[in-house]
Amino acid sequence: MKTLSFYIILLFIVSLLAGCVQTNILDKVGLVTLVGYDVGTEEKISTTAVVREVNPEFQSNVQVITTENKTSKGNRMKTNRKLSKKIMVGQMRVILLSEELAKDNIHHYIETNLENATVSNSLYLAVVEGQMAPLLEYKYNNIEDVGQHIYRLLQQNIEQEHMISSTLHEIAHDMYMAGDDIAMPIIKKDEELVGIAGIALFKEDKMVGRLSAEDSFFVKLIRDNFKSGIYETVLQKDNVPSDLLKNKPNEISLAFDAIRSKRDIKLVNPTTPEFDLNLKVKAQILEIVPDVNMDDPKKVAKLEKAISKNLTSDIIRIIDYGKSIESDVFGFGEKYRSSVRGSNLTKEKWHELYKNMKVNVKVDFVIMRNGVFE
Amino acid sequence: MDNSVQLKPNDMFNTYLLFFVIHSAQIGVGVQGFQRIVYQDAKHDAWISVILAGVATHIVAFCMIKTLEVYGSNDLYGIQQDIYGKWIGNFLNAIYIFYCSIAFFSVLRNYIEVIQAWLFPGISTWFLSATLLLITIYAFTGGLRVIVGISFFSVVLALWIFPMLIFPMKFATLDSLYPILEANVRSLLKGAYSMTFTILGFEIINVIYPFIKDKKKTSKYTHLALLATTFIYLSVMMVSIGYYSEGKLLRTVWATLTLFSFISFPFMERFEFVAVCFWMLIILPNLCLYLWAAYRGVIRLVNISGTKFVWIFSFIIFLATLIVGSRTQINMVNNQVAKVGFYIVFVYPILLYMLTILKKKFTAKKEQTNENT
Repeated sequence: MKTLSFYIILLFIVSLLAGCVQTNILDKVGLVTLVGYDVGTEEKISTTAVVREVNPEFQSNVQVITTENKTSKGNRMKTNRKLSKKIMVGQMRVILLSEELAKDNIHHYIETNLENATVSNSLYLAVVEGQMAPLLEYKYNNIEDVGQHIYRLLQQNIEQEHMISSTLHEIAHDMYMAGDDIAMPIIKKDEELVGIAGIALFKEDKMVGRLSAEDSFFVKLIRDNFKSGIYETVLQKDNVPSDLLKNKPNEISLAFDAIRSKRDIKLVNPTTPEFDLNLKVKAQILEIVPDVNMDDPKKVAKLEKAISKNLTSDIIRIIDYGKSIESDVFGFGEKYRSSVRGSNLTKEKWHELYKNMKVNVKVDFVIMRNGVFE
Repeated sequence: MDNSVQLKPNDMFNTYLLFFVIHSAQIGVGVQGFQRIVYQDAKHDAWISVILAGVATHIVAFCMIKTLEVYGSNDLYGIQQDIYGKWIGNFLNAIYIFYCSIAFFSVLRNYIEVIQAWLFPGISTWFLSATLLLITIYAFTGGLRVIVGISFFSVVLALWIFPMLIFPMKFATLDSLYPILEANVRSLLKGAYSMTFTILGFEIINVIYPFIKDKKKTSKYTHLALLATTFIYLSVMMVSIGYYSEGKLLRTVWATLTLFSFISFPFMERFEFVAVCFWMLIILPNLCLYLWAAYRGVIRLVNISGTKFVWIFSFIIFLATLIVGSRTQINMVNNQVAKVGFYIVFVYPILLYMLTILKKKFTAKKEQTNENT
């Protein structure tokens, strides 16, 4: 008993003497929710930080501060000098990169955030069309906290599978992977709104091309599996099966939801290289204009075939675009590495091979059902 | 020479607890970041290296237990004194004590480094080291049965961390594991060798053996514990290979903790911070067991009371944690522990087993001739 109390007293004294770690009380810190990197006009890096300050009495206020410095940590110190509260990055949710910067090199910006233990690996990255400061510093009518808004915008679209996922972990994963390239959403200011405008495609750590937001469906289809996506397409006149309707329409518009897809890539010829891309897509019809009688299984089969053909041509178009800018965001390279023994694949080596890659696309589209009203 | 350990039954502990002792002695600071070290050599076949290392522990543990069984109720220190005689035996005992001490030190220093890198960059080393040492001293003065109890709770209370691997598994791809066996045998073995630091700890059986109640079941629980450890390491490794890309894994210092950094719950934003704190419970048995193993050796060399020993020992370790400050120095210590540990834990027991058998045969013959004459 005597020894026990001795230890307790000793621990107590030691804790009193040295146990006071620097505290971070919510009222006394500014939480950085978003950081935007841009190319600076005078210094190398220009950083725009959205800082949320929580006040117990008042509504929390949001400050947007732009600084320029040689390093991102230097910018952090500069930002700190302009605020009444110490800034913390533990709650950071989004990192934005300006288009100009993305076209130059993003390697450093990803690495510096990976090194910092307080930065979460699940934050989102995106490219901003145009300049960074105008997007963040603008006083929007309906957006109170632009940092939170962009975070919600990305999160919502990624979780709904409208957009490819671009968490820091996934970006870093692709960046350090020999057979994979980075893709991330593009954000754009549109008058009083901020929205997703497309996806940026990277070659190694440089942005080399972009696709429209609609095309992100195909990119996701090739590189990932869908659990419940949505998709809208138009069948042109030439693609419409002849006996589907009595009066052949000029085009048929279709919309699907609850899309489940499964991709399967096989390397058939390692020298070319040549891949077989098999996609199994199951969906439920949401809208069809003009109305097609779905009771007839023959007609449904014809429609399915027409949609498959349509999807195939779109996918080939996307892959061809990827090849033309030498950006493999689809992950064919990883398949190549995992199928070829002793390939010792590097990014350069793969990009050489990638230019001459051949892909045989096969889409198997199945209409599961068409709502509750026929 | 009879120097076996004589014990009262209430100094001993039940055999099934040996499972927890060995398992908790193995799992410690190594598992936080062993992936990249193994991956450096064996690439995406690193999981095969983990299995190889696991198999090696089984073989070595088999030899250890066989050696101990020859002597009935004695530990490594007594066996060495018996085989090599007083002087060489005691010299080897001193080496083993030294090994336990640096292993203890390396566990302590690594954990402090993790806390400083992840949680509190501002907290001073001496404070953390003093706190952890005080807890260890407190546990040590409770005796072996308390230490065994800590091992038990350390394993049981940390069980919930293991299923957390499911979260990163969602982002893992199976393709990363292919093509299987691309690495050659040399690099696979090199990878297995790199596992040494992580998989060490089961050598505690050398010292704890006399304290086991039912010695016949020793090997059963030892091998079960080794199997459990290998299973955990294997799962962590496979998830890591799938989750990280090659370049990223090579540059992630504590891959297991980063693996957890993706997990967040509505009530807990950053899971790995909890994991880092919780790790104290996981390393506590490591510290206690190494300290106790060192103590068992020291009392064979000099006449010293437990309390006196533990204070002197802690003071030396405390000073050492202050000297070894930077990451490079810590890594150097880790590499030395792994190197020394490899020879002491993996090579030497097999040698000792052979010597024991030879000696047994020799003495048996001698006795036979004595009886005949």
